[in-house]
Amino acid sequence: MNKLGLKKDQIQKVGLTLVGFVILLYIYFSFFLGPLNHSRSAALAAINEKQSKLASSKNNLAKAANLEQQAKAATARFAALKSLNSEGAPIAWFPPRMKVFFANQQIDKAVARLESSAVFKQPELSAWLKFNWVIDLPQADYATLGTAISQLENAEPLLAVTKVSIHASPDQPEFQQVVLMATNTIPKQ
Amino acid sequence: MALHLNLLHEEILEQRQRQRDPLKIGMMILISLGVVLFLYYTWNAYQTLSIKAQLSAIDREWSKVEPKVTAAEKRSSELNGIIKTTGVLNEYIDHRFFWGPFLEKLARCVAPNTQLTSLEGTVLEENKGVSVVIEGVAAAREPRSAAEDLRQMLGEQLSQGGYSDVKVEFKTLDDLDTIVSVGGASMAMAHYVLGVTFNPAAKASPTPAPARPTRR
Repeated sequence: MNKLGLKKDQIQKVGLTLVGFVILLYIYFSFFLGPLNHSRSAALAAINEKQSKLASSKNNLAKAANLEQQAKAATARFAALKSLNSEGAPIAWFPPRMKVFFANQQIDKAVARLESSAVFKQPELSAWLKFNWVIDLPQADYATLGTAISQLENAEPLLAVTKVSIHASPDQPEFQQVVLMATNTIPKQ
Repeated sequence: MALHLNLLHEEILEQRQRQRDPLKIGMMILISLGVVLFLYYTWNAYQTLSIKAQLSAIDREWSKVEPKVTAAEKRSSELNGIIKTTGVLNEYIDHRFFWGPFLEKLARCVAPNTQLTSLEGTVLEENKGVSVVIEGVAAAREPRSAAEDLRQMLGEQLSQGGYSDVKVEFKTLDDLDTIVSVGGASMAMAHYVLGVTFNPAAKASPTPAPARPTRR
């Protein structure tokens, strides 16, 4: 007998009940409520993440639509610059094009040959290559040559004449022997 | 007073003891607690299920939006690339050196008594300007002064033509023994080589300094 008036076997039963109570709580929190709460927290976190993604995606869609509007001029310019170059290997179409161009400018016997090609240092032009050409004009009149070079610079915005060499022709004083070095910017095929 | 005998006191005592059995009471408490906990779990489970339903609805919405967003992001990066590339190409186009105007200016400077025999012009890399070497002959009573006139006029023409840092210098200027007839008059000749350097970009005018506020 103790102060509460419990017998020994009753104390054992109370102890057993307490143990059962602890086991019940442990099982309940560890195997039922715990996983449920964990699952609910994960679902809530996923909802928050998805909602923020949805909100940002709506922003992105709006931004993309705005950008599409703003980039119209740039896109048109880009397409125009790309269309300046023909399809295929530049060595196949550039020399004939120069021959025809200078023939139209009353300068015959124009010969263009490829000297080298290189990549650009700028990362923005990683999809473009620069081709260095040597254009020989063995028989050109100075005034006609000036006009032709001006026309060429205006007609071919992606072409830059980097070197001009003009020598008086010893046999024909009215003509000059001209060598042009030009760099052309062409998209990679 | 009648004598009252309780012959069942032992059975009554046992019954009372059975009613006060701590195991039985504990079991009843445990069962009650279990029921409460079960109800609480059920409530939580219901809430979790509704949250999961909400999540699956958001998932469905996201799966509808995601392809559009991916396509928009791809298009945005493509457009940004196009804008940047076009900008760099425009800069490249704008910073080209145009030989046509230079050749025109040079032609204006050549007087009838001077002749150019060769011209070597190079655009220096990294926007360092243009270098031209001009070789020719001048015929006059004072052929050196005719060559000097050409040098000065070329310098003026190029400076007025929008080029900056113009330098026109003789590399060589030699008298020749040859005598030529220009307009029926015999003239001495000189051979010259001119070195011309200039920057195609016009010199930027200095920005005026901001006015200082007057102290009172």
